[in-house]
Amino acid sequence: MTTPARPVSDAPLTSQPWRHVAPSRMAAWDADAGRPVSWAEFHGRIGAWQRRLDALDALDGPGQRWLLHCRCPREFAAALLALWTRGDSAVLPADERPETLGALAAECRAALGDIPDGLVADATPSSPRWGPLAPARLAVSLYTSGSTGEPRRIDKTFAQLDAELAAHARLWPLEGRLVISQVSHQHIYGLLFGILRPLCEDAPLAGAACRTPETLGAWLGRLADAPMAPPGAVLVSAPPPLERLPETGLPPAATDRLARVHSSGAPLSATASAHARRVLGAPVEEIYGSSETGGIAWRDQQRDEAWTPLPGVEVRADDAGGLWLRSPYLASPGWQPQADRIAPGPAGFRLLGRADRIAKVGGKRLSLSGLERRLARHPDVLRAHALPLPGRPHRLGAVLQLATAALPWCREARRARVAELRDALSTAYPVSLMPRHWRFVATWPRNAQGKLGAAEVARLFRDLDDPRRPRWLGVEKDGPAACRVTLEVPERLSYLAGHFPEQPVVPGVVMVQWAVALAEEHLALAGEFRGLERVRFPQPLLPGERATLELALEPPAEGPRLAFTLTGRRGCHARGRVRLAPGEVGHGR
Amino acid sequence: MSTPLEHELKQLIIETLELEDTTPEDIDPDAPLFGEGLGLDSIDALELGLALQKTYGIQLEAESEEARRHFASLRSLAALVEARRND
Repeated sequence: MTTPARPVSDAPLTSQPWRHVAPSRMAAWDADAGRPVSWAEFHGRIGAWQRRLDALDALDGPGQRWLLHCRCPREFAAALLALWTRGDSAVLPADERPETLGALAAECRAALGDIPDGLVADATPSSPRWGPLAPARLAVSLYTSGSTGEPRRIDKTFAQLDAELAAHARLWPLEGRLVISQVSHQHIYGLLFGILRPLCEDAPLAGAACRTPETLGAWLGRLADAPMAPPGAVLVSAPPPLERLPETGLPPAATDRLARVHSSGAPLSATASAHARRVLGAPVEEIYGSSETGGIAWRDQQRDEAWTPLPGVEVRADDAGGLWLRSPYLASPGWQPQADRIAPGPAGFRLLGRADRIAKVGGKRLSLSGLERRLARHPDVLRAHALPLPGRPHRLGAVLQLATAALPWCREARRARVAELRDALSTAYPVSLMPRHWRFVATWPRNAQGKLGAAEVARLFRDLDDPRRPRWLGVEKDGPAACRVTLEVPERLSYLAGHFPEQPVVPGVVMVQWAVALAEEHLALAGEFRGLERVRFPQPLLPGERATLELALEPPAEGPRLAFTLTGRRGCHARGRVRLAPGEVGHGR
Repeated sequence: MSTPLEHELKQLIIETLELEDTTPEDIDPDAPLFGEGLGLDSIDALELGLALQKTYGIQLEAESEEARRHFASLRSLAALVEARRND
């Protein structure tokens, strides 16, 4: 099944090419089954969603806003087209946390998809009804996930999406290849590259999200074998999955099928770019941009480290190196200043990092970037992030990634480390501008977009507001049923008071409670507590001590169990199993 | 060895100012609370003033010379609380 080359439309989205496509052609490819999904089938899904929405408000006029969250790319695309052709727009939550959804639900007609109270279309196909997509109309509202402050709403019109999709189609034509996405389509990059490009360019999208390198290898292998398979694939990825590609690589039969890899969300390191190129056997093309700006520039680091502006995008630097942008993907036509600094070159520009972030702390202006640079001068500090804490605007927090050997493992070591860092700052900063709360991490906490986001920051400092909780310093997942959480015991932990006055320790039952609570958080453990098995507390856990909690869900026949081991520098503090009522163990998100 | 009141004040300071890595034993009753020593700042002085008012009903002008004298060390703070709460 090949696609004849055709001129790229200036209105790839609003011309709605999917209305005229032959019903027998492939809209999606079910990569797990190796089965094509026809446009006739896909049109039936769009119609089913329209029927569901019509049943809800046949009397309300167009212009409704619907909260939409669907993990399945195909269902997401069908729901999106259904509401667009009704004259409505979609509100895409950045994540599925209850507080995120709750805040947005109030401004939406209803929630759609796989979220609590989300409506879904039934299985009966229906003929879709088409309507115009006016370029000036609102298409989607997205939310940024910055590391400070509340998520910000970004509105995109059809004209903005059209401009960006046309540029992508000219630069990187899909030519009927299968689009496999490893990123969330609730964000602009995944929405454009993973959903809208294949719809507009008559290329099939993969039937499901591709989470692991093993799945990717299996799907690409099936492309080579299956009859009626698309003629190759394009991978839409991001730094976190690309950095975690196994060294062993994918079978050559699989990588032969991969034409191109895209990455966005954060710049890839040169090492990660080279590694991905080697393992996947395809060029890695990075896109630099943001939810607000859309795509700004692109590069293939194996050719050149400098970024080339996307077609139609103009970039210049002001005297301080600040990036100014004029782009058809923006809502307004003029030049707009951006927070990044650049160095323009003969063929594009280099990124120099963020412009200074300024905060007002106790009435004084402070450059957070300057404070971070000063902290990063210390030889043990690999990376630093400073910020006024949410809910405590006059107090600074600092997240520091340290070399493993330099991580403080007990109270004395932590006190010495903090004293040393404060001392290093004291020549340049008054006491009131020094961080009060320090979080020392072994690996940089990142969200699915590869950034230290507001949710990660809030998690790192949550113990301040809940004296029953340990200090959380990061999680490493080993698949859906196992993870390792790094913890510290806060001196203010309420359970320490009155245990042994001379030497406070964390009571054993509290360690078990932590294991259950953290398994609920990271492994979606849900189940009634039934009892403990083989629980031991060999070494007391002291205030200020750092420890790693290993958690694993075991689903044996007689009922699920949570195995936990809490280990610190001095040895094992707790281990054992929690027995749960059967049939209620969830899977990690 | 600190008196029960001194211990209580140490805990008040740690709780009010959300000091990490600090237990009552870490606070030297004779060391300065502000600047050097415990490393507290002017915002801490305001918050501590509020906490003293809430807990013991003691009113202090945070910026005053009197407050500076009482906040000099934990021992001087304890002396103030001892004197005022018996009023």
